[in-house]
Amino acid sequence: MEKCGLFLGCNIPFRCPDVEQSIRKVFPALGVEVVDLEGYSCCPAWGTGPSFDVLTWLTISARNISIAEEKGVDIMTGCNSCFGILSEAKHMIDHNPENLKKVNENLKLINREYKGTSKVYHVAHVLYEKIGLEKIKESIKYSLDGLTIAVQPGCHILWPTEVMEVKEENPFYPKILRKLCEALGAEAPHYSRIEYCCGMGALRSTDQEKSFEIVEQKLLSIKEELDPDMIVATCSSCYMQLDDAQEKLRAKGRIDFEIPVFYYTQLLALCMGFDPNQVAAISVTPRDEIIKEIQSDKRLVKEEGGE
Amino acid sequence: MVVTVNLTKMEENPIPEIIKFGGEGIVKCIQCGACASVCPLSLAGMPLYNKKLFKMLLSGYFEEIIEDPSPWACVACNRCVEICPRDVKPFQVIFAFRRIQVREFAMPMNVLGGMKNLYEKGHAVFSEAAEIRKKVGLPEMPPSTLAYPEALKEVQTLLKNSEVAKLGVIPMS
Repeated sequence: MEKCGLFLGCNIPFRCPDVEQSIRKVFPALGVEVVDLEGYSCCPAWGTGPSFDVLTWLTISARNISIAEEKGVDIMTGCNSCFGILSEAKHMIDHNPENLKKVNENLKLINREYKGTSKVYHVAHVLYEKIGLEKIKESIKYSLDGLTIAVQPGCHILWPTEVMEVKEENPFYPKILRKLCEALGAEAPHYSRIEYCCGMGALRSTDQEKSFEIVEQKLLSIKEELDPDMIVATCSSCYMQLDDAQEKLRAKGRIDFEIPVFYYTQLLALCMGFDPNQVAAISVTPRDEIIKEIQSDKRLVKEEGGE
Repeated sequence: MVVTVNLTKMEENPIPEIIKFGGEGIVKCIQCGACASVCPLSLAGMPLYNKKLFKMLLSGYFEEIIEDPSPWACVACNRCVEICPRDVKPFQVIFAFRRIQVREFAMPMNVLGGMKNLYEKGHAVFSEAAEIRKKVGLPEMPPSTLAYPEALKEVQTLLKNSEVAKLGVIPMS
């Protein structure tokens, strides 16, 4: 079985562990063993190392990557920020001998070495590129036929393509997540603000009102253009923001609708028949109804010569 | 914030500092505005989005903008890096300015919380999660520095020997 090191980061294990559980369920079912990276730390987040000192950023990222190197596996992350930060750090180390030298001088303090042998992937990239749409199609027990999805890939999975192993043909018109959703039987059309920021992260912690304005525009665009059955994200921050901000905007009377939000592997796990109490159990915007709809008998994919 | 741009103010040139902290691309900026056209900060109406920050810096302004929190609203999305026709790497310039703000102690104070968490827990974002983790069938702690104290020591050793320690902005015992 192929193996991949799972870099969990902070938000997924602490705030949405049902996303972690969904990742741990779907990959082995698709033939990829999930390997834990014991002793990993924060990637380090944009507001920490990268905002204070370049070498500190590169050193902490390189330590994390070196854990995967020791195990002889590539890394996959479910958090877009971790993906961006680790990919960018790896690019800056691999393409600058001076950085590589300084990072390894630092890592010597803890008897570690960065070699550059492990690649950094996003969970969605492993699904799309290594596992493939066909295998995903074959794996599902329930089909999303007739349902419409608004996709939210999130920023760091799209830009800058220069530092990534798997790239969108045009990151301003992203297609990978749409195809991943279509593999489950759903419609996942393009919409005008498909690549817009969700307003989470640094923007939300610096100016909450502006963050709400951005996410409000995005949600209105989604509602008016697609009126979807659900929103599906491949970024854990977008996922939390689109879920949580809906409630806040409703409370302020700024929106009057409710759209359930999933992280992609949660939706995939539900389609595979995994227990919603483990893989899709925590959200602000209610999801019970759509989960029941997804796992209803009428959606069972007929097996060849089946029941 | 309204600031009048004075093109004769170049004697207080902040550009060498920007270059020193990783924003060397700024010297290639021709103010075409491509970065601003795709920037979530300009869309949200933050006063000092990429193009404007670079104009201020290239015009010699520093004291006037050093306490502006806009750079800390940058989500590091890198749309600007993708689209810039001059390879300025605008994101890197914004983060270079953040690094200078830290050294001037002019950053929003909430950013110290994340750095402190990183040192103490190994996680910038941390919240008690044992219950919700158990609820979904996972062990109480993820397999990170939280579950491996010797790994946290490694991270602390690296941080104690870093520039961040020299800045003295967070306690490192």
